[in-house]
Amino acid sequence: MSRVIGIDLGTTNSCVAVMENGQPTVIPNSGGYKTTPSMFGITQDGKRLVGHLAKRQAITNARNTVAAAKRLIGRRFDDPEVQKSIDLSPYEIVRGANEDPRIKAGGKTFTCPEISGIILREMKRVAEEYLSETVQEAVITVPAYFNDSQRQCTKDAGKIAGLEVLRIINEPTAAALAYGMNRPGEEKIAVYDLGGGTFDISILDMSDGVVEVLATSGNTFLGGEDFDRRIVQHLVEWFKESEGMDLRSDTMALQRLKDAAEKAKCDLSMRDVVEINLPFIASDSEGPRHLKYELTRENLESLVHDVVEGTLKSVEQCCVDAGVQASDIDQVVLVGGQSRMPLVQRRVTEYFGKRPHKGVNPDEVVGLGAAVQAAALLDSENDMLLLDVTPLSLGIGTYGGHFARLIERNTTVPVSKGHVFTTTRDDQSAVKIRVLQGESDLAAENDLLGEFVLSGIRPAPKGEPEVEVSFDIDANGIVSVSARDLATDKEQSITVSSTGTLSDVEIDEIIEEHDLYEVQLRD
Amino acid sequence: MGQIFALASGCDATQLNLTAAEGYLLSRFDGSTPWRVLREMAGIPAADADSCLNRWIDEGFLEAIRNSSDSNSSSSASSSSDQTDSDGEESTPVDAAEAPSETPPAPQIDESKFDEGLDLDLSVQRRILEFEASLDQPYHRLLDVEKGSDPKVIKRAYFKLSKEFHPDRYFRQNIGPYALRLELIFKKVLEAHEMLSDPDLCQVENQSSTPSAVETVAAALPATEASPEPSAEKPKPLTKLERLRQRMPFKIDQAAIGARRAKAQEIFRAAEASQKAGRLQEAEANIRIAISFDPACSEFKEALGGLRIQAAGARATKLLATPSERMSEGELRDAWKLLEDVLLYRPHDPELNERAARVCLQLGKLDVAEEYAQTYMEGSPEVAGSHTLLGRIHRERGDRDAAVRAFERALKLDEEDLDARRALASVRLGARNEAQGGAA
Repeated sequence: MSRVIGIDLGTTNSCVAVMENGQPTVIPNSGGYKTTPSMFGITQDGKRLVGHLAKRQAITNARNTVAAAKRLIGRRFDDPEVQKSIDLSPYEIVRGANEDPRIKAGGKTFTCPEISGIILREMKRVAEEYLSETVQEAVITVPAYFNDSQRQCTKDAGKIAGLEVLRIINEPTAAALAYGMNRPGEEKIAVYDLGGGTFDISILDMSDGVVEVLATSGNTFLGGEDFDRRIVQHLVEWFKESEGMDLRSDTMALQRLKDAAEKAKCDLSMRDVVEINLPFIASDSEGPRHLKYELTRENLESLVHDVVEGTLKSVEQCCVDAGVQASDIDQVVLVGGQSRMPLVQRRVTEYFGKRPHKGVNPDEVVGLGAAVQAAALLDSENDMLLLDVTPLSLGIGTYGGHFARLIERNTTVPVSKGHVFTTTRDDQSAVKIRVLQGESDLAAENDLLGEFVLSGIRPAPKGEPEVEVSFDIDANGIVSVSARDLATDKEQSITVSSTGTLSDVEIDEIIEEHDLYEVQLRD
Repeated sequence: MGQIFALASGCDATQLNLTAAEGYLLSRFDGSTPWRVLREMAGIPAADADSCLNRWIDEGFLEAIRNSSDSNSSSSASSSSDQTDSDGEESTPVDAAEAPSETPPAPQIDESKFDEGLDLDLSVQRRILEFEASLDQPYHRLLDVEKGSDPKVIKRAYFKLSKEFHPDRYFRQNIGPYALRLELIFKKVLEAHEMLSDPDLCQVENQSSTPSAVETVAAALPATEASPEPSAEKPKPLTKLERLRQRMPFKIDQAAIGARRAKAQEIFRAAEASQKAGRLQEAEANIRIAISFDPACSEFKEALGGLRIQAAGARATKLLATPSERMSEGELRDAWKLLEDVLLYRPHDPELNERAARVCLQLGKLDVAEEYAQTYMEGSPEVAGSHTLLGRIHRERGDRDAAVRAFERALKLDEEDLDARRALASVRLGARNEAQGGAA
């Protein structure tokens, strides 16, 4: 049987791991790095580059280098968060045929699953080189707050990469699995995951290999990149004031600033002050201009203070959802590169009243956890069991545009729940069941997963007919919904086959096309 | 350890003086399950189980039987791994079959359900079938905990059963019909844990132990009719609606709600501050968080609506000021989109509903227009215009009778309503003309 890998498909960096002799191990890429930038670029002469190679040329080729595609995947083009990305990204984002955002690079338009697929294919290749065997199956992680469509698109990306995705699991959950392996006893842990593009917080209960998610909360649009952006903004404003030039319209200058900001941010985790030195950042009739700025840790902390406080709001909501006090938590596990920042560590320590756990590498623990879950599913020797939960509430739209939750978020799956609804008009003969996912009380603000009509209801005054609606989620997370008229026993149901933005045919076409480029990628 | 025992022929187990646990154990001797497995299932400490076994053998109630491969092929696999020989008398399969029927608590397992072609040991198949058959026990017995146990004990029991029955334990294995059984069992275990670890629900369960358990089984199987109650002492049959409501008790934790509300207010105040400072995006994000803390508070939604209107700014003001009759198609669509956006937060606002109805009427979206007009009319039934508007929409849809009724209602409220009077006349005229045409 071929090996199953675990992949942490990150916003900025990705990581692949596999089980070796019963222990999860991170696989280094050919450059010796344990993580690979989630970047993809097309050079002037049409060469396709992934990972470190793509990152290296990002400055000189910003318009054709795609980073942070994870922020777009599975969203609609009109999504405000996509619009925000359009303002911030050096590459062009256009409206696709299915109302999805697509990315232009090297004169070609790519879908988001395609870009993620290219990254996943690279991770697969890294694993295959290390293991000297082909790899066909993987467990992939996503932020806990990804909705159905985002998860499905990630699965499509796996398909494009030639991987069968056994499971999509949540990043904080994966971290907990890696942390909890071989740890006896009962513990309540909090996983604080501040990655490049997303923030997740989960509270879990674990005991002798069983991991139960009590609650999860977070923000899919808050992460390390926001820290970088704050620094860039600050530098741009400062440069405008001191030199009178606006760097905002200069993509190359912006990309250099972004790079320098990221580096300064990382350095400030170890040092108190760094110098940002960018010679020849711009030029005008008076000659070249240089940017030289001293950024102190204090300075940085005041720039991003509110972002960190924002994460603690989510932490608080998570504690309330889990029904625990901050002091009930036995261990706090920090995940994601941004959690290295001293300000984050300090605030988290203050909040929980205890120092975070030191034993895990925040960049690798999610990938390791994905490998653990793969083993837990397939390897009879592995005794771990993850009691996974639904990330978002499920329910139906009701009269007046309201949303009736049938399955609350953070409910352990597999699960079935039902409730009785009735008609809103006299002699109503049919009801439309609109299956929705989300947290808003307004139906229109949640995602529509599917709809169907139950007809043939016997004429009766409004409020009298009884229609039982039941939701069922199986172990693989597939949702089916049925509606039954209790008077006639008439029943209608659908399986919510969550569709990504791509059809199977489109995926096959993409796979074919990418096979052509494979040779160039390895060049 | 792996020996197989059966009830001695001619022994009447009902005559024995046994505790419930012992009776349960004795009832499990079926002449095919090895002692090793039975001891695990006994639910009492292994040493106690062993002493029971020895006592019963000494007293002659149990006899060791030879490996039963010659009599029952399906059980051979389960016992093949532990072939310690036993030299006891051979017992007939009849004895084995009779044994469980003598003491009622043992679920009868139909061994024909066993399937050797699956990736499941027969002992595991038996365990699953037996557990499935016992699903309608009260929750605490299902989890094998004392009533009113500590939450930690309940959780431990729940984890233990999860480890045994979670479908992921058999991921990708060929387990045939057992996949569905495992799912059913796990859902039930989950439900038991949920109910037992909630003090409020726990009480309900303790009061009405067996019946509620039976109902929830039906809940897990929505396709089947709720089974008739076996217990005779049931006070009065619940209606279907009541029963279904019981299945989905809504949990209410006042303290937590209070905490959430306070938190929501605090975040909302932060949002107001951001709004005043002109940071609209931040304000919106905060209000959304506040709403997720306290979804019932309409003040937040109003504020979000206000914020949206503020964000739409001058465009909104202009669109809402132009009468819909004078708008271009593009403007109409724009206005509709805007109204929909705002109506989300003020779904019953009569003015907004009126605007929306007019715009949709103009756009020919009659279904939607009717809905808006209906809401408008329900919101301000004393305004003649609301009825006239509804009437006009009915007329456009070709529903003359409804239109006439609406116009008449409008005229009753306001005899001077020229619009309604004219419209009514034209509808009546149309009807008459048609009637004549039909006659000719």
